Amino acid sequence: MDIDDILREVDPVFHAVPHEKRDLQELTRAWIAERSAPELLHWPANGLFERINNNIKQQIEKVEEMTGDMDPKTNFALIVIQTELERYKYLVRSYLRARMAKIDRHTLHYLSTDALRSRLSEMELAYATRHQALLHNHYLSSFLSSFPPNLQNLNDASAGISMIETPDLECAVFIRLLKDAFVEGRGVDSDGSLDMRESDIVILRWADAKPLVEAGSAELV
Amino acid sequence: MPMYGDQGNKLVQHAKRTQNLAHLPPYQTELVRGVTREVRDLDKDVASLLEPFQGSFDPSADQATACTLLVNHLSMRRNKRCLLAYHRTRTDKLEELAWAGSDVLDHAGQQPGGANNAALVDGGASSLSPQEEDYFRQFGDLLAACKGQWTDIDLTGSLEPPRDLFIDVRVLKDAGEIQTEYGAINLTKNSQFYVRQGDVERLVAQGYLQKLA
Repeated sequence: MDIDDILREVDPVFHAVPHEKRDLQELTRAWIAERSAPELLHWPANGLFERINNNIKQQIEKVEEMTGDMDPKTNFALIVIQTELERYKYLVRSYLRARMAKIDRHTLHYLSTDALRSRLSEMELAYATRHQALLHNHYLSSFLSSFPPNLQNLNDASAGISMIETPDLECAVFIRLLKDAFVEGRGVDSDGSLDMRESDIVILRWADAKPLVEAGSAELV
Repeated sequence: MPMYGDQGNKLVQHAKRTQNLAHLPPYQTELVRGVTREVRDLDKDVASLLEPFQGSFDPSADQATACTLLVNHLSMRRNKRCLLAYHRTRTDKLEELAWAGSDVLDHAGQQPGGANNAALVDGGASSLSPQEEDYFRQFGDLLAACKGQWTDIDLTGSLEPPRDLFIDVRVLKDAGEIQTEYGAINLTKNSQFYVRQGDVERLVAQGYLQKLA
């Protein structure tokens, strides 16, 4: 909670958060979450990225319009807008790249079931499929094609070890509570549970934190 | 006496070394071929061992043969994993280079002294296998397609958070004239400029310019 949240509570109409700001907040949150979570999270389905792309386009146009102006005042405004634009673009870029890196690491895993596939955006799905096909082709042409047929698979699960690696859902993450909640976590020797207040920060396993994050009662930090 | 898996082990050692190198060492064509041959030989052994049983092999009745089969089987799988690991490490490296925007295949010397290019050329010959060159080209196409969908963001841009809009750069190599919104700048060697970061990012990545702190 910051000063804006407090103001909003006092007077929800006057201090309502404008659209753009809410989008930025959402983007920032998605970015932080994606970077801290061990597995790929859901692609925001509410058209967030369409809106963000439009905003970026608008600002770029504005910058182009203002560039011709030699007035020092506009010049200053221009620098502010461009700085903001660069930061905005960085957020989007870093977010997309973080996702792509995760997809690259466990491509077959994310392509294996429909539930997992639905986490990817259309473009990511195309990227993952194509990338995997390229890799497979490369393996085939480099050595796999001269293997005996029963050894050519890339998704064997014999001897109890699946060839498809999956992300480690048990690794630790930090979360900040957004609402008062009862937090349960599994430990090595014993499990723990705690009544937590808003804005408290805890470290626990991602598998335990995930339901809280998905329900919106906590965010990753 | 060479043992099963020795060659596979060597491949993995190569892969491990590659992880810590800035450049890509030459492709081990011979080793890859050797390991693949070993797999084929093992498979043949398995087939000939099983032949007299006509598909009715009972492991508990003939434990010695069962053990041989198991060892052969595991060796094959191990070799496969070694090969996969070796190739994956190298493709990872290639992808990294593709993201960084260096043109690995362009090693004919059109760009004398290009740091990234020199790293991949070993004694005049490319250190990539023909398959890897194909892979690199195709991955580059894939990347370009992805970038095309996010034109405003520049997907391959810097992943360092932007701090300042303008930066000081020193020109390390002549890079010709570039267009900026404040007019054209002629980048001649050893000159120094205060420019918009977005305009020169590519040139910094390619080693033409150096960022000054």
